[in-house]
Amino acid sequence: MNDQREYVHTGADSTRRSAIATLFVAVLAIAIGYAAAFNSTGTPAWAPWLLALGIPISLGAIMILGAARGARGVGPLKGPFAFVVGILALGFGAALALPGSEGPLSNLWLGLPARAAIVIYVVGLLPIVVLPIAYALTFEAQTLNAKDVERVRQLAREREAAGGQANSAGVPPQ
Amino acid sequence: MMAALPVSLLLQVSLPNAARPAVVAVGVLYFAVVVAISIWAARRTRTANDFFVAGKGIGLIALTVASVSVSVSGFAFIGGPGFIYAVGLGAMYIVLPAAVTNVMGAWVLAKRMRLLGEARSLITIPDAIGARYRSRGAQGLSAVAILVGIIGYMATNALAMGVVINSIFGVGLGWGIWIGMGVTLAYSASGGILAGIYNDVFQGTLMAVASVLVFLFVLSFGGGLGEISRTILAHDAVLLGPWGKLTPLAALSFFFVFSMGSLGQPQAVHKYYMLRDPLQLKWYPLLKTVGLVLVLLLYFSVGLGVKAFVLSGRLAPLTSPDQATPTLLLNVTPIVLAALVFSGVAAATMSAANSFINIGAAIVTHDLPIALGRRVKNELRWGRAVTILIAIAAAITAQQSGAMVAFLGIFGWGLFASTLVPALAVGLNWQGATRSGAIASISTGLFVTLALETAAYLKAFKFPAGVTASAVAMVASFLVFFVVSWLTRRSAAAELDDDVRLVMEL
Repeated sequence: MNDQREYVHTGADSTRRSAIATLFVAVLAIAIGYAAAFNSTGTPAWAPWLLALGIPISLGAIMILGAARGARGVGPLKGPFAFVVGILALGFGAALALPGSEGPLSNLWLGLPARAAIVIYVVGLLPIVVLPIAYALTFEAQTLNAKDVERVRQLAREREAAGGQANSAGVPPQ
Repeated sequence: MMAALPVSLLLQVSLPNAARPAVVAVGVLYFAVVVAISIWAARRTRTANDFFVAGKGIGLIALTVASVSVSVSGFAFIGGPGFIYAVGLGAMYIVLPAAVTNVMGAWVLAKRMRLLGEARSLITIPDAIGARYRSRGAQGLSAVAILVGIIGYMATNALAMGVVINSIFGVGLGWGIWIGMGVTLAYSASGGILAGIYNDVFQGTLMAVASVLVFLFVLSFGGGLGEISRTILAHDAVLLGPWGKLTPLAALSFFFVFSMGSLGQPQAVHKYYMLRDPLQLKWYPLLKTVGLVLVLLLYFSVGLGVKAFVLSGRLAPLTSPDQATPTLLLNVTPIVLAALVFSGVAAATMSAANSFINIGAAIVTHDLPIALGRRVKNELRWGRAVTILIAIAAAITAQQSGAMVAFLGIFGWGLFASTLVPALAVGLNWQGATRSGAIASISTGLFVTLALETAAYLKAFKFPAGVTASAVAMVASFLVFFVVSWLTRRSAAAELDDDVRLVMEL
């Protein structure tokens, strides 16, 4: 019982709780999108929109879940996450919403017609410029530093001293 | 990334006599380097830890290149360009997720897997699941799921190797399979994952160089991307629409399965254990993403380029989309570049096969005994023995009908995704996840994937356009994981060991 109270009151920070709830809702939206495709009259026009919004939100939610750290949440990563979720949603949304006008006289953007350029350059390349850089720049503060590694190693030494290190699910190594 | 797609029957091409000496020479050189690396690695493999996780002593650059190498298969060089040739930009939704998957994996899994490895001396992915939920059942079930997926992957990779080796050396498909698996087996059994990693470094470098050179050549030959687009737009503009010839639901579905599903691919996730210094993870996502983009340049450029060259009459129409890369290489590019790409395809399949053989051997000698409450005494010796058995089984399976092998290969990615993403990726980051939720989720992923794929294979059931078994299974597995964890939430805290809790809170 004590363990459960500790978990409920201190273990689950609000960022992770929000990320889990958001991930659940996003996956549910994607599921509804797929379910709608089984409609005997064909896939309704709104079904791809559920995926176009659900996919960026689910990816953003699981990244926030992984990056959140205690009470500080995702700290300076809020901006990069919002940017990437936003451009994925906008990119997919633009591809769905903009009228199809590809033809021999189309204007080309970096060698591709507009809607294709949005997909390739915005959805496919812009996140590369933002996310890995944000990950590296916030690495020590947000992800991992030497103190963290030492805490884990210290705990491992203590466990070993206290009675032998159990491997994985608890079967001691021979 | 796209190793799950059917790589079988990908290169049914005979080299022209004029090209054969150069291609054979480069092929022989390629195999000589693989053998040399393997001999070097075998001398350094002394323990099960060396064999399965390279003694946790791999540096950042080697790990990055190796991870890029196992993330792609022959599909990136042959099937992928063929897919773009057939459906246009819709095929790009398989590779576009690379922009986010590497850094997503770093945030969600890399740190926690690496630290768990530090705290518990873990060597496999089921190990991490067993430690997270303090459950031999969850560890055993995830091990079974991975093993089932590996059977499919191995058969398709063995077949792809056979096809490539037959194309280069003209030895026949059957002998091609045995030679390819024999070479892969030799370095897998002797040097374990250490040989695999350093061969991956060589093979990944080869793939990146080949891809960049082909990309530059296609742009130059086609007069730039703009000219290539103009030609396609004049003849078949739909190909350059945002979804190509796919439906929006189908294209978006690819993006979902290949982005979220990347968190459950054991050949890539397993690598996190091997990094020598966990602090080197800082630059891992950036380096891996750049490497992956370089390797995928060929995928994009050949598919569109060949389409434009055929439409403008510079190349004869293809007999099948999968001929896009071979046709370009044998009719347009310098023969040395063609030879480099053929070796790159062999490299891609061998790299993936080695990784899966090693993971499969670890499951049989390590995870399944643990699930049964036992430990194998000499994991290194048994690991080598099981490696040989898996390779032989894969080679025999690959000799079966192409349709059967393609079927086995199709569900690999989806099976890994649906069984591992919720339990592993979400579970390592959410203290409210429970053992029951994990077991229910893994079971759901396993059952739904196998049932739907089998029903589709037997033509007992047909999905609506845009819906795949992989996507349905992954969504179902997620929802079951959340619902069962919520229903059993009172047990969540009691299932966490203190060291696992620390790793999850950092």
